[in-house]
Amino acid sequence: MFEAGVREYREIYWTPGFQPRETDVLAAFRLIPQPGVPPQEAAAAVAAESSTATWTTVWTDHLTTLDRYKARVYDLEPVPGRDNQYLAYIAYPLELFEEGSVTSMMASITGNVFGFKALRALRLEDLRIPVAYVKTFQGPPNGIQVERDKLNKYGRPLLGATLKPKLGLSARNYGRACFELLAGGLDFTKDDENITSQPFMRWGDRYEFVMEAVRKAEQETGERKGHYLNVTAPDCEQMLERAEFARQLGSPIIMHDFLVGGFAAHATLSRWCRRNGMLLHVHRALHAVMDRQKDHGIHFRVLAKWLRLAGGDHLHTGTVVGKLEGDRATTLGVVDLLRSDFIAADRSRGIYFDQEWASLPAVLPAASGGIHVWHMPALVDIFGDDSVLQFGGGSAGHPQGSRAGATANRVALEACVQARNEGRDLAAEGPRILEQAAKRSGELAAALDTWREIKFDFESVDTPDVMPA
Amino acid sequence: MKLETFSYLPQMSAGLLEQQIRSILDRNLVVGIEFTSAPDPRDHYWTMWKLPLFSVDDAGAVLAELEFCRRAHPDAYIKINGYDAVRQGQVVSFVAYQPERGP
Repeated sequence: MFEAGVREYREIYWTPGFQPRETDVLAAFRLIPQPGVPPQEAAAAVAAESSTATWTTVWTDHLTTLDRYKARVYDLEPVPGRDNQYLAYIAYPLELFEEGSVTSMMASITGNVFGFKALRALRLEDLRIPVAYVKTFQGPPNGIQVERDKLNKYGRPLLGATLKPKLGLSARNYGRACFELLAGGLDFTKDDENITSQPFMRWGDRYEFVMEAVRKAEQETGERKGHYLNVTAPDCEQMLERAEFARQLGSPIIMHDFLVGGFAAHATLSRWCRRNGMLLHVHRALHAVMDRQKDHGIHFRVLAKWLRLAGGDHLHTGTVVGKLEGDRATTLGVVDLLRSDFIAADRSRGIYFDQEWASLPAVLPAASGGIHVWHMPALVDIFGDDSVLQFGGGSAGHPQGSRAGATANRVALEACVQARNEGRDLAAEGPRILEQAAKRSGELAAALDTWREIKFDFESVDTPDVMPA
Repeated sequence: MKLETFSYLPQMSAGLLEQQIRSILDRNLVVGIEFTSAPDPRDHYWTMWKLPLFSVDDAGAVLAELEFCRRAHPDAYIKINGYDAVRQGQVVSFVAYQPERGP
């Protein structure tokens, strides 16, 4: 019989001890209830509002089986060292989600609940995507190994640079900046995310000049080169039009800003890339709006998992050592989630669940932002071979110009890889390895002199909780 | 002209080459040797010098094969690959010998 009225969420959605099924989507939320709201009720409200419930009972509840569709809070724990802050673990039945759809997960799990009045703050820390769901996605259009095979680049990180100044160059001068960097030894150059199609440089002009630079640099060096042509556009038709023109010009790679463009647009582009054999570099403008504050939002590891499902061959992850936010353990956790096939839960790295990808292709992490040649040993040590290291200012800021700057970075990179393979400790011997290599490279020597004293030593805002031993 | 990984460094001596080969073998990768007289970044299939050295775990033996290949093809570029059977692809590849640089 239907009884109208308001029931407490925890009567239905708080099920401590519930054993989640292998096929459930699991979420770990950090939550701060409003004063006076019991944490069980707050957690149950999250489960309820992100699955089957609304604020009052409705007669149509009786036309379905709540047990089959409702999300359940199966565990709740206080966050050590934080007052009135909890981690709530919620299991969602797979039936709640559409196949192959990140937008479906976003709308449910990160929907209305984040504005819920009973909560002071809410953050989605991690999401376990069950293998059954993973298999409905195709993921990266190419993946790390296919990219290496296509570009014939092995056994070292790839090198890139964002062209600077990021705004205001004419298309022809922009192509010049691109050519100098590629001819000097970088593998890729990149459009800054702000560059789309402004009056000072329309996209078609940019693509043509840049591709001339790419082709010429390939002829001059005998190596494969590419430029991440940003196809982020005002609408999907124009996005695809730009991608198509890049393909016609012979570009091996394009770029998209996945959060700005949105997951639906991104997934469309990812499918287009797979169909057309195009590599897809993914920028992450907007992410810090969602992921930087520790108490509220969506952790980047969740955005990164969604990106691996929706598809991308490179994703920016932070540098650990450069100018942008990123705790080391947390960043490396994200890097593993992008590159490995299985990632074990590890709270010291902020990873709450085992994640199995079932051979979904892997994503190359891109480290970019305020890094220079002195960081090279640490970057090679931290990120290993399967990464893209991007030196924008750290190349074009070289006293002899972009080409010399690019060469300096390439020499430093290869010296570090060689030393690492010889068994030398990059963390301990880095500066010595660079100084030795500089004896045979004037470009590297000048770069070392230029950036000797530049450091970015600030505490990270977003760090893992210290767990009791 | 450049030839990808390590081509921005000076030519490695036999001793340094041996250390790089050792690091490939230490990762349980299979070493392969390939050569060509006309390197082209879009050419994925250089000529194989014998089959990949599946059962070889001695860096000295790889160096010896490299030398046999060089003598048989003195004008060729010769590269060393490290093949990862789990990833089903090369994970290491560099040109160990370029004719214009000498042995």
